Amino acid sequence: MRYGMVIDLKRCVGCNACTVICKAENGTPPGILWARVLKLESGDYPARRVSLPVLCMHCQDPPCQKACPTGATVKRPDGIVYVDTAKCVGCRYCMMTCPFQARYFNDAVRGYFPGQGLTPYEVLKYQDHPAGVVTKCHFCKHRVDQGLQPACVANCMAKARYFGDLDDSNSEVSQIIRTRRGYQLHADLGTDPSVYYLPP
Amino acid sequence: MLDRPFDYIGQDLRSTFRPQREWAQRRGLLLIAAFFFSGIGAGGWLFSLFLSWPTGLVWSLATVVVASGAAHLAFLGRPERSWRVLLRPQTSWISRGVLGIVFFAVSGVLYLLTGAPAWADAGPGGRLLLTLSAFGAVWLLVYKGFVFAYAKGIPFWNTAMLPALFFVTGLRGGSALVLLLAVVAPEGPDLYPLEIAKLWVAVSFGALLAFYLWATSESCVAARRSVRELLGGRVSVAFYLGVLAVGLLLPLAWGAVGLFRAQPEWAWAVVSFSSLIGDFYATYAVSKAGVYRPLAGDFRVAPKTSQR
Ligand code: SF4
Ligand code: SF4
Repeated sequence: MRYGMVIDLKRCVGCNACTVICKAENGTPPGILWARVLKLESGDYPARRVSLPVLCMHCQDPPCQKACPTGATVKRPDGIVYVDTAKCVGCRYCMMTCPFQARYFNDAVRGYFPGQGLTPYEVLKYQDHPAGVVTKCHFCKHRVDQGLQPACVANCMAKARYFGDLDDSNSEVSQIIRTRRGYQLHADLGTDPSVYYLPP
Repeated sequence: MLDRPFDYIGQDLRSTFRPQREWAQRRGLLLIAAFFFSGIGAGGWLFSLFLSWPTGLVWSLATVVVASGAAHLAFLGRPERSWRVLLRPQTSWISRGVLGIVFFAVSGVLYLLTGAPAWADAGPGGRLLLTLSAFGAVWLLVYKGFVFAYAKGIPFWNTAMLPALFFVTGLRGGSALVLLLAVVAPEGPDLYPLEIAKLWVAVSFGALLAFYLWATSESCVAARRSVRELLGGRVSVAFYLGVLAVGLLLPLAWGAVGLFRAQPEWAWAVVSFSSLIGDFYATYAVSKAGVYRPLAGDFRVAPKTSQR
């Protein structure tokens, strides 16, 4: 079993719904973007604008986990990589060693309305975001463990994201990767990401 | 006024060269200080061993244990869990480095407790402790280079040259620390061998730095961008003023003059201090100039066939 995601760059319209729904689902503090969408232009004039949604790639050989001196970065048997915030010391070495820039340091408890205290929603969600530790996407493991899809997949209005078992050669994600030339970012670094992209 | 984290969102959504921030800005400066103190302390220990000078040994050890230890702890987000960083030496360079600090501190304290005898006067136990502490100091000088070099996503750091650069930087800082102590201490050792050693180490540092910048700028586009940040971008003031002018040219020029004409002791104190400033800025500049490989770069080179 190895959970993985496929993102179809032809379908993605760059609406940032994934960015927003990730925040709503996981209650990440200000400035922390577990999912984000990069914009770039390619080719000569008239340049084509393309959106590149990025998140933690849940690498099968994660350099962040090897670099972590405390064992706070954990890889589950199903391939999901997450941070155990009770063990993290906030050294940020994982942020330096993650080639996908997927990690954020939560240096202090901060609300979205400075000077007005935390909202009840923030009080609830920030139980999962203690200050002084590093955080990152965990493929919505609380949803996946209930048989649901990650929030960014379930809520992508363009249906540009697929989620499933990469080890199962008959799964939808495996078939799409095979038939549509799916590729990984920075494949040459040897981290074997579990997020694949379909060319635009 | 915007809360600080919002200021960075623009950088995070940029599809090109995103700078690393956490090890160079705000509390990240404490880590630079920690690396700096451990480097000059370890270098100072080696020079003090060479000179058989107990005062230098004590101050060098204190620089590593007290100054570097305090800066390391203050940098951590959760210092109360700091013991945990010792747990994973099998894979983590941070664990290996911190274990090295512990090893150095224990062997160094024991050596001092035996009276810090010179090699010729020491028994087998003293010689063993002297050797172990020297190994510990060398480890402290190089491990930071391995810590940085493990970051595959930051090509400016991902090079085998960094351990060598940090080794020479620490030696240079150590010689400056001992020279400074020798000037201010009532009964310091003879300054002349130190001045010569310091001059040579500074020349080696300059040559290695130039080679490092040249080699990395030839390696890939992100590393070239880091070199540009140093030579004409975000980090250029620190590089030209801190690393080159104050840290290298001033000590080199003064050191060269000192070879031919005796200088007053206060002048050596000034030169040592400027060398130390240069060392701090060298670590700072290398760290701050680090930019990640652009994620979007791969987008244009999507392979022709599936990767599974
Ligand atoms: S993308 Fe980064 S944080 Fe995620 S598993 Fe890979 S190295 Fe770790
Ligand atoms: S910040 Fe936390 S998760 Fe990251 S390397 Fe340090 S201890 Fe591990």
